[in-house]
Amino acid sequence: MRPFDPWFIVNVIPDLLAYLPVTLFMIVGSMFFGSMLGFILARAKIKGCRIPKLLADLYIATLRCTPPIVLLFIVFYGLPELLKVTMGVNINAIYKGVFVLVTFTLLFAASVAEVMRSAYESIDKGQREAAISIGLSEFQAFYRIILPQAVVVGLPNFCNALINLMKDGSLAFTIGLIDMMGEGALIVSRNYGSYALETYIALAVIYWSMIIVIEKSFNLLEKHLSKGKARVMA
Amino acid sequence: MELDVNYMIDTFFLALGGISVTLQITIVALLVATPVAFFMAISKIYKVSIIKQIVSGYVSLIRGTPMILQILIIYSLVPSLINMIVKGLGWDFNVFDVNPIIYAYIVFSINTSAGLSEVFRSALLTVNVGQLEAAHAIGMSTVQAYRRIVIPQALVVALPNICNLTINLIKGTSLVFMMTVKDITAIAKIQAAFGYNYIESYIDIFLIYIIICSITQLLFALVEKHFGSYKSLKNA
Repeated sequence: MRPFDPWFIVNVIPDLLAYLPVTLFMIVGSMFFGSMLGFILARAKIKGCRIPKLLADLYIATLRCTPPIVLLFIVFYGLPELLKVTMGVNINAIYKGVFVLVTFTLLFAASVAEVMRSAYESIDKGQREAAISIGLSEFQAFYRIILPQAVVVGLPNFCNALINLMKDGSLAFTIGLIDMMGEGALIVSRNYGSYALETYIALAVIYWSMIIVIEKSFNLLEKHLSKGKARVMA
Repeated sequence: MELDVNYMIDTFFLALGGISVTLQITIVALLVATPVAFFMAISKIYKVSIIKQIVSGYVSLIRGTPMILQILIIYSLVPSLINMIVKGLGWDFNVFDVNPIIYAYIVFSINTSAGLSEVFRSALLTVNVGQLEAAHAIGMSTVQAYRRIVIPQALVVALPNICNLTINLIKGTSLVFMMTVKDITAIAKIQAAFGYNYIESYIDIFLIYIIICSITQLLFALVEKHFGSYKSLKNA
């Protein structure tokens, strides 16, 4: 048997990093669209009438129980059919990243909606009432008073949701998207499976460093944003 | 879109057969991980110098890498390791005879122990130090105090997080088809390959997971109610 080759790990990392932009694009895109959808869901849960609230609850409960890979394949096989039947559009030749974006937007929205709701509800109601009483509009009260406080509360959970998104996002290669994992799988098959362990370890190292960077930057951000809080307490 | 309803119903019941594999992996992972995670949590709380650093590194590594990579790494590492050991000992044993579910047990035990240790740590920290001191004061040993006083209280706090972790574990097991284990996903996928009924198969898997996860959540809610009953007594 061929001995373990640590140098292969070092050599393969640059090849894998060439596809980092694809991976990052998918993560940032899903985070962006997912946060928007999550905001709508959270709003429906907080302020909505009965039916939107029920729908949001149902959506979040369902997505919480769905393995990412299953949703990915439902979207991958289902979306083209659905569009063909409802709008007559043929998207069979489309870039596979679209399916990945749709899937992880749906998943991220469910987890981030809960983060946003709990952060919003942690802010005392008196804050909004006080803001209204000094003449701010409802929007101003939300934007200037509640939001800055809620962001600080929600930040650690948002960071967790983002890390989960990154980890789940590594499944994108299963539908044939060539991101970092996809390139890793290609490298493995190009070497007839012989450098599999080294390639996977290289990928693990990259993912681990990415996640540590995200954790550290969120910690810094949290420290920066909670400056105001310390002053109020003092 | 025309869904083949008959196919869906047939596959649904076929794939239900995979639930036992999913639950087996979940339960083995939880059973193996619980004691390991508990000692990791304790060593972090008591700040045992070197062990604490090792545990922190381990937890960070496991939580910082995707499940799929852990599966791929273990699946390409462990069989060759076993092969080497077996050959070194000169046994007559073929590594390909090993049921791949063993590798699934390994991956998910490793993965769960990391998550569970953080759950235990935060839960143990919520119990007031005074509880432990009071237990010592009435003559209990530390082990007794933990077993009778601290752990029951910490467990109530930890239950929602353990529920979350179990749900994630169950969802994670959908990836074991990568290790050729025949779970729900694998069975439904094999069925789909005959007639390209992938949408129907994946909808079936989706439904089964919703059912399993809902039942799990319900069970945890019941357990939580049972263990949390002392709280309502205190308030009364």
